[in-house]
Amino acid sequence: MELFANLAHGFVVAFSPINLLMCLIGALVGTLVGVLPGIGTIATVAMLLPITFGLPPVGALIMLAGIYYGAQYGGSTTSILVNIPGEATSVVTAIDGHQMAKQGRAGPALAIAAIGSFFAGCVATVLIAVLGAPLTKLALAFGPAEYFSLMVLGLIFAVVLAKGSVLKAIAMIVFGLLLSMVGSDIETGASRMAFNIPELADGLGFATVAMGVFGFAEIIRNLDAGAEMNRDLVQQKITGLMPTRKDLIDSTPPILRGTVLGSILGILPGGGAVIASFAAYTLEKKIAKNPSRFGRGAIEGVAAPESANNAAAQTSFIPLLTLGIPPNAVMALMVGAMTIHGIVPGPQVMQKQPDLVWGMIASMWIGNLMLIIINLPLVGIWVRLLRVPYRLMFPSIVIFCAIGIYSVNNAPVDVILAGVFGLVGYWLIKHDFEPAPLLLGMVLGPLMEENLRRALLISRGDWSVFLTRPLSAVLLAIAAFLLVLTVLPALRAKRDEVFTESEN
Amino acid sequence: MADTMGHSATATRNTSVALGFCLLAIAPQIFEFIWSIGTIFGWGAGRGPAAVVIGHATALVAGAPGALIGAIGGDTKKTSSDVLLALIYSYPLFAVAIVTLFMTIRSAQDYVGGVILMALALFALWASSDLQGMRGFSFGAGTAPRMFGGLLVALSAGIALTGLLAEGPALQHYSWRGPLFVMVAILFFALAIRPLGLVVSAFVSFMIAATGSHETRWLEAAIVGACLTLGCAVLFPYVLGLPMPMFPRFLVQ
Repeated sequence: MELFANLAHGFVVAFSPINLLMCLIGALVGTLVGVLPGIGTIATVAMLLPITFGLPPVGALIMLAGIYYGAQYGGSTTSILVNIPGEATSVVTAIDGHQMAKQGRAGPALAIAAIGSFFAGCVATVLIAVLGAPLTKLALAFGPAEYFSLMVLGLIFAVVLAKGSVLKAIAMIVFGLLLSMVGSDIETGASRMAFNIPELADGLGFATVAMGVFGFAEIIRNLDAGAEMNRDLVQQKITGLMPTRKDLIDSTPPILRGTVLGSILGILPGGGAVIASFAAYTLEKKIAKNPSRFGRGAIEGVAAPESANNAAAQTSFIPLLTLGIPPNAVMALMVGAMTIHGIVPGPQVMQKQPDLVWGMIASMWIGNLMLIIINLPLVGIWVRLLRVPYRLMFPSIVIFCAIGIYSVNNAPVDVILAGVFGLVGYWLIKHDFEPAPLLLGMVLGPLMEENLRRALLISRGDWSVFLTRPLSAVLLAIAAFLLVLTVLPALRAKRDEVFTESEN
Repeated sequence: MADTMGHSATATRNTSVALGFCLLAIAPQIFEFIWSIGTIFGWGAGRGPAAVVIGHATALVAGAPGALIGAIGGDTKKTSSDVLLALIYSYPLFAVAIVTLFMTIRSAQDYVGGVILMALALFALWASSDLQGMRGFSFGAGTAPRMFGGLLVALSAGIALTGLLAEGPALQHYSWRGPLFVMVAILFFALAIRPLGLVVSAFVSFMIAATGSHETRWLEAAIVGACLTLGCAVLFPYVLGLPMPMFPRFLVQ
């Protein structure tokens, strides 16, 4: 079996002491930063990107993957203990998780979140290994037209899954595409929209924009509300981490359902962890015998979204590793990290660098295992960290982000740009524009433009090429269908319902 | 009575929104003017302030209609970038500002958001206007930016339109203290890291950022700032091996 041989090879790589250490450090640091309220996964990964620069490629990516899961796990810890979701994926976890914590069951809530995540992680790891090879073959059948259509589909997914107005989400994507075009043109080398500023000649750094829009903007917005932010931190000591037998029985089916849902949504380009957790929570509430328990500390309300978001977080590596398309902003940062180490993600990576790919896949599983082992005993430390008042926390975050951005290119201009994008992000928040589609547009922009140009060059300027090539036509048809569905009033109401669920 | 008062309140707000848009319409020109003041002291390159003012003023008042007439008359002489800026960016926004005066804004959040986004799109159109377009069936450097710029103009017009047609939230409150001090801290850090080194710039930036909240206690902030600076000074250059100046240049030499 090739599959097991590959996985075994991966585990050999991942179990080397140095890589184990990288994984451990990544998971720990990721959790540490993820626990801080107001810093989501994207900002965490962007902030910690520079610390992996000095490492060998395999170690660096393993560490980044660890940071990613750690940040996600840290986010759920905050939402259960303080009711401030550290990030969007754990918004729904906060609803029931925090209620459980108030009833003195913080321990089981955290444990179930960890167990659910771990289980989902195991399934997703196998899924990546299983789907990796066939999808890579599929990728070889992809020409520029297909790539372009697939990315359109991904962007449409992002629109469908974004919160709020469809029009605004599309506008954000196009804005992101425009931002991605700043800098040198790939084909002619002409400088575009750079205003003769030498630092802009290379384009806007993705990490810079991400840090501005997700890091600085969030800080400024939190300051708006007054630094004291109502934090009802669970004060009593957390005792009895282990869930009861009943808890385990109750949460097994939700974990299974959440895992399936999350795995599917994660693979779709533009999908990702946020929508997976929302969808899983809604599903649980729909099929529950007694839906009124939700919002009052139902353990299913913790188990399902946590497994779903972790499954999605992991399966979102699939499009990246096989097609070279980053399905969400975090993956885009991963692409950035890979490029720094001279790796171009895509179908060829699987063949050329099996160490890297399979090592990373295996380390995902190890990382999840580590999280469950380390984090439960460390909950006390995270709680203490959460007691640090925001008035001291936010200047520290500002400084840390600034140093982080500076160290990416040793360029002071990047820091200023991140600041500017912080203001842009603040403005976006004030006008109810979602920043996530903007980032996705920015990520896919260069790839989309390149493939569009190439496709049209091959077809000698004939736009119908996107419809006459069957694979591309199918992808575009799905995209159009989805868009129509979203605009239909009946479905819109449903979609809004899913998102408002979290707000009460 | 209440009705008329409500009406006059909308009217005044509309006027201020329209004035805001007018300001937005000449924002790039103002920015270039402020930037150009630096050239007096020998910073940066570019036109002097007087040239900037004259160039833009003539473009806004006379140049653009002239170019328009010239275009109708079949004159294909290349228009200057000042005139293009006025044509592509400023005039549409002035038009929007005038239209605003006669509209009932149902959702200021959407309307203002849409118009500002449109301004960004128009600016991008102007910025890519000097790039080469299609050459036969092959894309030039400017094709894609113009394509997406045009799309964004249409989309943002749609958003602005929903702000006129559908009820929605009003403008949210912007505060100034947090954004201002955080931005100053970031700016200071960016300017100081090279000449002053990590230790000084991190600590000072920390204190500036801390000013952004009215709850800051100075002694406490200074202690935490010092500890953080120390931590960063050890972590980044030594543990992570990232090259970074540590102390002010004049002290090291």
